[in-house]
Amino acid sequence: MRKLSSLLLVAVMISILVTGCGKPAPSSSSSGPAESGSIAGQDPIKIGMLEDLSGDFSLCGTYKTHAMELAIKEINESGGLLGRKLELVAPDCQSDNQRYQEMARKLILEDKVEVIMGGFSSASREAIRPIMEENKMLYFYNNQYEGGVASHYTFCTGAIPEHQVMPLMEYMIQNFGPRVYTIAADYNFGQLTAEWVKKATEQYGGEIVGEEFLPLSVSQFSSSIDKIQKAKPDVLVVLLTGVTQSSFYGQWATAGMNVPIATTINIAQGYEHLRFDPPACSNMYVTAQFVEELDTPAAVDFVKRFHELYPDEPYVGMEAAAQYTGMMLYAEAVKKAGTTETEAVIKALESGISYDGPAGKVTIYGPTHHAIMDIWIVYSDEEHNISFKKKYDQIIPDWLEKEKGVDLTVNSPNTQFTP
Amino acid sequence: MFNSIFNYFYQFLDSFSFLIIAVSGLAIIFGMMGIINLAHGEFIMLGAYIFTILAKASVPLVFAIALGTVFVGIFGYIVDKLVVSRLYGRALDSVVATWGISLLLRQGILILLGPSIPGLTTPMGTFAVGSSTYSIYRIVLAAVAIALLAGVYWLFMHTTFGLHSRATMQSSTIAQSLGINTGRMYSMTFMLGSALAGLCGALYAPTMTITPTMGQAFQNDSFVTVIVGGANPLIGMTASGTVLGVIQSALSMLFGTFFGKIGLLVVAIIVIRVLPQGFSGMIEKHMVKGKR
Amino acid sequence: MKNKIKCAVTTENISAIAVFVFFLLYPMLHSAYKVLNMANFLITVILALSLALIWGYTGIFSYAQAAFYGIGGYTYAIFCKNFANPSLTPIFLIAGVLAGFLVALVLGYFMFYGGVNDVFVALVTMCFTLVLETFLAQTAGPEWAIGKAQLGGFNGINAVTPLTFGAFPVKGEALYALVLLLVLAIYLALRIMEKRNLGYCLLSIRENRARSEMFGYNTAKIQMVIFAVSGAIAALAGVLYTSWGGYIVPSAVGMTQATMPVVLVAAGGRKNPTAVVIFTLFYLVLSQNLAASGSQYSLVILGLILLLVVLFVPKGIIHSLFEIIDEKAAVLLKNGSIRTGGKANEQKNP
Repeated sequence: MRKLSSLLLVAVMISILVTGCGKPAPSSSSSGPAESGSIAGQDPIKIGMLEDLSGDFSLCGTYKTHAMELAIKEINESGGLLGRKLELVAPDCQSDNQRYQEMARKLILEDKVEVIMGGFSSASREAIRPIMEENKMLYFYNNQYEGGVASHYTFCTGAIPEHQVMPLMEYMIQNFGPRVYTIAADYNFGQLTAEWVKKATEQYGGEIVGEEFLPLSVSQFSSSIDKIQKAKPDVLVVLLTGVTQSSFYGQWATAGMNVPIATTINIAQGYEHLRFDPPACSNMYVTAQFVEELDTPAAVDFVKRFHELYPDEPYVGMEAAAQYTGMMLYAEAVKKAGTTETEAVIKALESGISYDGPAGKVTIYGPTHHAIMDIWIVYSDEEHNISFKKKYDQIIPDWLEKEKGVDLTVNSPNTQFTP
Repeated sequence: MFNSIFNYFYQFLDSFSFLIIAVSGLAIIFGMMGIINLAHGEFIMLGAYIFTILAKASVPLVFAIALGTVFVGIFGYIVDKLVVSRLYGRALDSVVATWGISLLLRQGILILLGPSIPGLTTPMGTFAVGSSTYSIYRIVLAAVAIALLAGVYWLFMHTTFGLHSRATMQSSTIAQSLGINTGRMYSMTFMLGSALAGLCGALYAPTMTITPTMGQAFQNDSFVTVIVGGANPLIGMTASGTVLGVIQSALSMLFGTFFGKIGLLVVAIIVIRVLPQGFSGMIEKHMVKGKR
Repeated sequence: MKNKIKCAVTTENISAIAVFVFFLLYPMLHSAYKVLNMANFLITVILALSLALIWGYTGIFSYAQAAFYGIGGYTYAIFCKNFANPSLTPIFLIAGVLAGFLVALVLGYFMFYGGVNDVFVALVTMCFTLVLETFLAQTAGPEWAIGKAQLGGFNGINAVTPLTFGAFPVKGEALYALVLLLVLAIYLALRIMEKRNLGYCLLSIRENRARSEMFGYNTAKIQMVIFAVSGAIAALAGVLYTSWGGYIVPSAVGMTQATMPVVLVAAGGRKNPTAVVIFTLFYLVLSQNLAASGSQYSLVILGLILLLVVLFVPKGIIHSLFEIIDEKAAVLLKNGSIRTGGKANEQKNP
């Protein structure tokens, strides 16, 4: 019996393996409306995407995937790009850096895509950036991050500290006072953004009265909250990431302190104001180029089209707009260059391609390969109602150029700089 | 002065109650069966989910907690009947099997309920001592932790079930020959351990984000506490919960939460070297010596 | 002599030869990408074999293989960043392996001379892995650097020079060949050791430690040394991985990575290195295909496989398969008065 059962087991597993391998290698994502197929004998343009549909980062991975699918569908419906249809190749990277590397190689060497878009955490981006550079593959990182990447093949269209931290700190110090306390996740994003907070605080006449870095696995914050209370800050800068650390907000709200929170990641990216009951996200200020509640005509229309395609989408966050815009910028560059050949497209992008969409007018800034865009100060009150306190127009991300002497139109150090 | 002392005491109670409540289920299962339940974190997660779903459906909090505990206990019983009962005496195989279960639970909940569900906020508000405010709920949790220890003590020392359990823990063959149904003991223990994990999840759910991976926040600390505690659930839990609670709260207050976490792990490694049987081994030896 | 050959004709040996022939022919039949991919799988095979050595043969259940993997990888990366000369990289490889050996030696001393065994070893090694991962993940600031090498925190160290011999960087098919050679060497070493005194000594420690001690074996010392050797092998895998990807990151040291060799060895058949090799290959191909197809169910399927294996085929799928085929073959051939060797006909070990 034992022998029979183990044979059966092996048979079952082999059949799973077969069905698993049975799908053709360049498969489109299962629920995507992207059409493949050729027009009058022309091959489709393959777009590669690396996002997380499972694991810790799937919260944002899912809506970023949907944003990309929406973009591709819209481009295909209006006749494709250079007369060719777009085809999406999107494996699930399972929030695992090793998978990112494996899938990046697969997309480049086997599926032979024209461009790769994606990556959520900075670790995943840094895992695949060398692979992109080694294989001369155009790469769009459409996500907010801690800034500093200077690479010929990489374009970062998400928000960076120049967009988020500088205006935020200026606003908070002017309105609430100079004493700033920072609590951040203890890894690159948290530490580097905290450096920027320090920079900004000094620049705007404030003072850092305390700083604490917490490992990603911390879920109970009593002693941290205690320290914050002792320091009596005017502004609390919160740079915590990941689901485990997000337990902070509920715990903080029940501590009943009136200090406003300044953050660059919450609400806009992870829609905590919908996932937690009030008053967890009360008195919070976030800087973002887009949130679902944005009331510009372009934003409202984008959300409407998004919900038509994905009626069950819980939230259309800022990275959805970033991903969508990134895809559209690529499309514009390809149109300008007249080809999908990498160097030509890069040159087109560096010449200052713009796209006017859900996040307003977004333009690629050639020397640094980052994006010029509008930024809003978004406010969440005790009932988690969203309002917009201020708009900063067309912030230019030129720190890499001015302070680190980087000009990617001339030469490329292919590294990430820190402040 | 009083404010500072209260502050330290509060921080210690917070660490202590977290460790005790998280570890109780794991310690009982480990002490009885020598099985490390790698799905412990996921059982806690289930308790949190059940509690949150019930509480959001307007079930009174206390009932929601009770139901969470009971359901996870029943689930644990099923898991035992299907999987764990075939692995008695095979400790290492049970590690692999329970890891498989944890994978299934985590991914299953992700597929069924999505990456997170809306949670509750911490009930009961705050009170102030000096310039700091403290959460009343956390004091309640501390009380629950102490009640838990008292309950476990009563269970093991003053009930027939407890007597049979201790006999099985000491020597299962002799217990069997005296007529104790050890198989049933193991199943009941696994059920009890799972129920306690469910209780932990339900209690801490209002303070945390409800996601499929939330169990991981409890798991690592629980394992450490179990190693340091040793095989006897009662003595082990109490001793290691206290010692580790003190160390973690002290390090967190002095140097920051990071050092609190690392300190916990380093202490565990050192204790194992110095006291391979954990605290319960050391204390039991003294107890035995004392009786002579 | 004839008998010796007959004894050697077992399912295990035949499949071992088949598998290695498959590996040998692979580059000639597949694209450069697939070969590179397979090289990565082979590196994981090395990691799995390191656990098979201590768990399968010696009965030490360790969660720390990923930690040594990371230590090897980080050591290599740090040296590469500090000394930009690519021809020195083989020395860095040795440095990485040595680092793994030494750390494992110290940890082993700590545990085995302190009488820590069985499940407690699992817990202590788990703690060790956690400490290492937590520590590495928070090294993001610029102050965390060893010489010129920034530890990089969560992002890890990237753009690491690949292994270079003289003027030839070992990439693509050359890397595949190197890794395959190492896999073969380690595999053969294990198989040969099995039948020597050292192998039997390890088996006796696995089966009954107290009795082995009473026979006069210094079990603590042997356990410590074997633990250190397996740490070295895991570190070797780490160095190769870093050279393959040009990148080493704390999540390579994490709990998921630590559990991977456990899964592979447990499900394949821990007491049998051939089973481990075959199953590792199978599992990696399966999980990559599941991920590539974007399926949400990949982790569910893997969890289920694990459960089913432990419950129904506890010796490991491939290992049990070997035994079944041997038995059937023996029955079939018995009638023709030819007897083959193989474990099925030996005294069954529990």
